[in-house]
Amino acid sequence: MTRRAWTRYVTAARFALLEHLRNRLALALVVFFVPTWITLVYLVIADAEVGYFLRATGETVVVHGNHVSKISGAVNAVTLIVGFMMFIVTYRSFEFDERLATAGYPRPYLLAAKLTALTTASLLISAYAVAVICLYWVPEQPVMLWAALAGAALAFGGIGVMLAALLRGELEGMFCIIMLSIIDMGLQNPVANPTADSDIVRYLPTYGTMQAGVAAGFQDTVPLTYLLLGPVWFLAAVAVAAAIYGLRTRDRRRGQGLLRRARVSASR
Amino acid sequence: MNDPTPTDIPLRVTGLHKSYGRHRVLRDVGLALPQACLAGLVGENGSGKTTLLRILAGRLSPDRGRVDHPAGLGYCPQHPVLNPAFTVVQHLRFFQVAYGLRHLRRAHELLEILDFADYRDHRVATLSGGTRQKLNLTLALMHDPPLLLLDEPYQGFDWDTYERFWKLAAELRERGRSVLVVSHIAFDTVRFDRMWRLRDGRLTELSIAATAPATAEGGR
Repeated sequence: MTRRAWTRYVTAARFALLEHLRNRLALALVVFFVPTWITLVYLVIADAEVGYFLRATGETVVVHGNHVSKISGAVNAVTLIVGFMMFIVTYRSFEFDERLATAGYPRPYLLAAKLTALTTASLLISAYAVAVICLYWVPEQPVMLWAALAGAALAFGGIGVMLAALLRGELEGMFCIIMLSIIDMGLQNPVANPTADSDIVRYLPTYGTMQAGVAAGFQDTVPLTYLLLGPVWFLAAVAVAAAIYGLRTRDRRRGQGLLRRARVSASR
Repeated sequence: MNDPTPTDIPLRVTGLHKSYGRHRVLRDVGLALPQACLAGLVGENGSGKTTLLRILAGRLSPDRGRVDHPAGLGYCPQHPVLNPAFTVVQHLRFFQVAYGLRHLRRAHELLEILDFADYRDHRVATLSGGTRQKLNLTLALMHDPPLLLLDEPYQGFDWDTYERFWKLAAELRERGRSVLVVSHIAFDTVRFDRMWRLRDGRLTELSIAATAPATAEGGR
């Protein structure tokens, strides 16, 4: 990577992270919503054992209802927050990014910066959620649970970026993220639907995370394929977002045979 | 006046057409803006001035036609396009990298000229509308391009800043820059070297002498 490319990437990544840090509502949600949700699950959900169809090993495992609900609660909290953060940042900065791109900032750097911020946020928030879970119960493989949660956060972060590129209103985007999360976790909720044996659940964004999360909570297996499903969702959503983003921020002088790069001006 | 050579023309537009559905906004629009020219684009609300400027800046595709600006440009959109999370200086830094500038000397000069250097560490979310507009304009000018497309760049300015803007525009012209300003204020017309009016989608050049208000103070 050349020095100029590095400067472009580091500058854009620094500003992308700064933008997240200035989103006080998202920060408040991280600090308060994650522990509140997991604590409420710990206090309210019954301890009774439930069967959970673990496709990762092809068997139905019997798990502690309260513990498995803490996992699904954490998935729910992390995906909502990261989806919200990425949607808001992408949506609100769209015109600004377009202006930067027109001024000469290559779009791949702007996108790479956003993805860096998303990955950082996903890893940190997921680590925080696992730490809160560990206050009440230590899963068999906490690091794998962290990786599984980060995968879900990435998936919803990518979906947030995609929705921001697709939709024209903040309310629509927020509503879509919440509805997606309700459908996603509602159908996979181990208490409401313990067997979750319908093929439909396979196509939910956090399906891989729940499978890997339950394995991380109660077993010593490492279902790598399921761990990777979150990142696959993320890549698919980001590919759609990148296509839309590229289309909307392209320099329209291109294709008319008219664009020439601005010459280095006297002030440089 | 001799016909200028193509390299003397920082902006040349020919046969531009644009429609929104059945509404024809631009019909066979053409103009050539010479070097060192302060030009105005006037017209009633909804006449298509912003559409034309967005096409010239490459932000909107025309249905037909050709736009040439071989040496680069600066575009100031009508409404400030800024990021409320960043400070003034952070905006300058971000655009420094975008434009590939070695330093921010000109940008800091502009902060002084437009009288908002005291706000350099303030976040955009906390700035007044007028100060945001100053930053919006600064981002278009800071790389000192040969061609400037400014869409009502003084919205929200107080009178003093409005005068500073015209002084700055005149200075840019003196340094050989070409400036096209969208305007709907009658007082402005006297400041222009050349002026075009957009009406019913057609662009016509106006005689400066015929449009200048007798009492207006010129910046020329």
